[in-house]
Amino acid sequence: MKVLMLTWEYPPFIVGGLGMACYGLFKALAEKGVKIYMILPTKEKVFFEISSGWEADFPVAKSHYQKQLKPLPLKFYQIGYLAPEGAYLDTLRLFSYQPENTINFLEEKKPLTPIFEEVLKRIENLLNKKNHTLSRVQRYLQNVLEVAKHLEVDLIHAHDWMTYPAGLFLKHLLQKPLVAHVHATEFDRAIGYGHPVVHEIEYLGLNLADRVIAVSNYTAQVIKEHYKVPEEKIRVLYNAFTVYTKEPKKTKKFKSPVILFLGRLTPQKGPKIFLEIAKKILRQYPKKVRFLIAGAGEMERELMFEAASEGFGTQVLFTGFLTRQEVEEALSLADIVVMPSVSEPFGIVALEAMYFGCALIISKQSGASEILENAYKVDFWDVDKIVNIIVDLLKHPEKLKNLQQKTKEEVKTITWDIRAEELIKIYDELLIN
Amino acid sequence: MLYIIFYFQVHQPFRVKNFNVLKTKSTVEYFDDSLNAAIFNKVAEKCYLPANALFKELIERSDGRFKVSYSLTGTFIEQAKKFRPEVLHSFLDLVKTGAVELLNETYYHSLSSIFDLDEFIEEIEEHAEIIKKEFGMLPTTFRNTELIYFDKISDLLFATMPQIKTILIEGADKILKGESPLYPRVSANHAHLLLLKHYKLSDDIAFRFSDKSWDEYPLTPKKYLSWIKDLMLIEKTGKNLYLNLFMDYETFGEHQWAETGIFDFIKEFVLLALKEKNLQFLWPSEVKDTLNYTPTPISVPNPTSWADTERDLSAWLSNPLQWNAIKTCYELIKKAKDQKRYDLLSILKKLSTSDHFYYMCIKYFQDGDVHKYFSPYSSPEEIYRYYMNILAEIETQLEG
Repeated sequence: MKVLMLTWEYPPFIVGGLGMACYGLFKALAEKGVKIYMILPTKEKVFFEISSGWEADFPVAKSHYQKQLKPLPLKFYQIGYLAPEGAYLDTLRLFSYQPENTINFLEEKKPLTPIFEEVLKRIENLLNKKNHTLSRVQRYLQNVLEVAKHLEVDLIHAHDWMTYPAGLFLKHLLQKPLVAHVHATEFDRAIGYGHPVVHEIEYLGLNLADRVIAVSNYTAQVIKEHYKVPEEKIRVLYNAFTVYTKEPKKTKKFKSPVILFLGRLTPQKGPKIFLEIAKKILRQYPKKVRFLIAGAGEMERELMFEAASEGFGTQVLFTGFLTRQEVEEALSLADIVVMPSVSEPFGIVALEAMYFGCALIISKQSGASEILENAYKVDFWDVDKIVNIIVDLLKHPEKLKNLQQKTKEEVKTITWDIRAEELIKIYDELLIN
Repeated sequence: MLYIIFYFQVHQPFRVKNFNVLKTKSTVEYFDDSLNAAIFNKVAEKCYLPANALFKELIERSDGRFKVSYSLTGTFIEQAKKFRPEVLHSFLDLVKTGAVELLNETYYHSLSSIFDLDEFIEEIEEHAEIIKKEFGMLPTTFRNTELIYFDKISDLLFATMPQIKTILIEGADKILKGESPLYPRVSANHAHLLLLKHYKLSDDIAFRFSDKSWDEYPLTPKKYLSWIKDLMLIEKTGKNLYLNLFMDYETFGEHQWAETGIFDFIKEFVLLALKEKNLQFLWPSEVKDTLNYTPTPISVPNPTSWADTERDLSAWLSNPLQWNAIKTCYELIKKAKDQKRYDLLSILKKLSTSDHFYYMCIKYFQDGDVHKYFSPYSSPEEIYRYYMNILAEIETQLEG
């Protein structure tokens, strides 16, 4: 089985949540004999070939002529969050595509969801807007078309909206099935409103793909409700944990217990809720506790002012942007990690926290909460409940220790190996005819 | 007679470096040596060295009739020794002319007068000590950080520092209530002579000199001298007047670049003033000996300062970041003293320097710009983060 993976991130080139998930998944697939071609947003017209586990660790860039290229330095385009502009709203009304609900999955022959020329024109049109991010997506699309026409693949697998245009064009060109993988939707990134162009690309990509993979039931629900994707096309494939080679160490930098928030300081991640929790505990709990708010983001000033005006001294501490090494340091000195995300497709930090032996409190609005057993699952807005859980754990160190041990064990069972098997089954559904 | 009293503030803080508790503990260093050295060297070249040379020349040319006073903070002296010893030598040369008075202040240019009075006295003593050691002088005039003053400071100095006779303060409208800053006053307890900064004429040089949108631009030495002479018109009974021109030393060459003509201006102004019969230069400590009348008392119940347009404490204490940072710093200073952790105490004292809190200021309009100009950090949040992380790490060391 040969799969073409379209993704925007992959370590060591760009490491984010998406990159780490792709790495774990591709490696496990390769170990199960799936041959992977990967195209990243490089300036050079290159692809990566992964046909064994070690190749996933050290991907090598290649060009069409099978000539090996040096893996570095490649020039990547990073992608930033796209802020909405009112102007796009009008153009959105001009075009609306109705997905075909006529495919009968009980029939033996399963045709690909057709892509009409108008759709491709529409996508070209959308990407032609004078916008930095969109122009990068367009450059990626052109790169992919040029590189991929020489590749022989059975399936196209596109990760998140930036790669959907390329996925759709390629599907049209090669007449191969397209899998659209949703690691996050514009609804998660923007809380409520998002960028209309991104929404439309997501809408087209998800509806015209032959399978849609959601990282959780929570996300599957969003895809169904907001993007009107028929349920039978959606499959849930949870993220798993990418095991580090090193065994994590616990450091005891502070004498008092450390409760950690790790993530961008944006409404999506719920840092303000974390601060509310901190305020309640610091006001009532008699012993010293330290709350660490680790991450950067547009809410920093607001949060800092609120924390400082309570006069908590250094008990609510901000660290700013973290390097990968600092993320690990944060997890190694934390006793309890709180993830009060308002909307989180999965939340891979939860697994990392467990790997580092932290007790975990996660919002029910996070996808990861669906598969975790040894974590407290609470509605993100239920501050009092979270406060009670934390106070209970602080008062009973044995219970805390026990839980920490359990989380550490549990995370070892959440492997990419299982996910790869599940994914191959999804591929098989598409390749059977 | 009108006496002109020049006092220049010379100070450098130990700026903190990019620090958070998650950095692996290879560094115990909290201060950004390379940044501090770079700034010190820049200011040395643009201001300290050329300005010292100019004032020395003026002193020598006038046979000591031109007089100035300086206040050098302890942190400045430490940095001069560490980064650029020739700057300290140049000040020593200047002092050796005999025409320079050195003032006493808090060693760390801190806000201890607001938060910790024991620490306040300790820092004044530390500062007197280093001035004595480096320059062989025992100061008798006091200036608090940024001219912060309120009645209690006089009470406290009277009880603990008997050698202090004179205090420099801001001639703020709200304490003068329409009276002129040209008349020295006595403190409410009659213990100290108070010299009031003439903020209009001081700021004409310090802030407005190169401002092209200012009505009086360009400011010529002649024009400035004529304004000073006009001041004498208010006095009809022969009382001596005292014009207190107080400013940051960096005015010369750093805040006002050499290209603006600031050096030529001050030189020509001094030479012109020396020719005037009714004008004389004076040290702050000489005021009490030249007074030909009994000064009236003035009460300052609330702190005043020379900072920003508010002339109060808002430059350092107007937002919660500043309050939380400074409050925590003084709590830790107390703790470190109790535990006799002198290693941490010397770091904490450097962290109590007012500049750190100045960088955390978020005020709008003109003053915000001034704060931004002086801050080496991109935002108040950035310095607050570094600062609180440093305090957190020190705090854990004090936990045993």
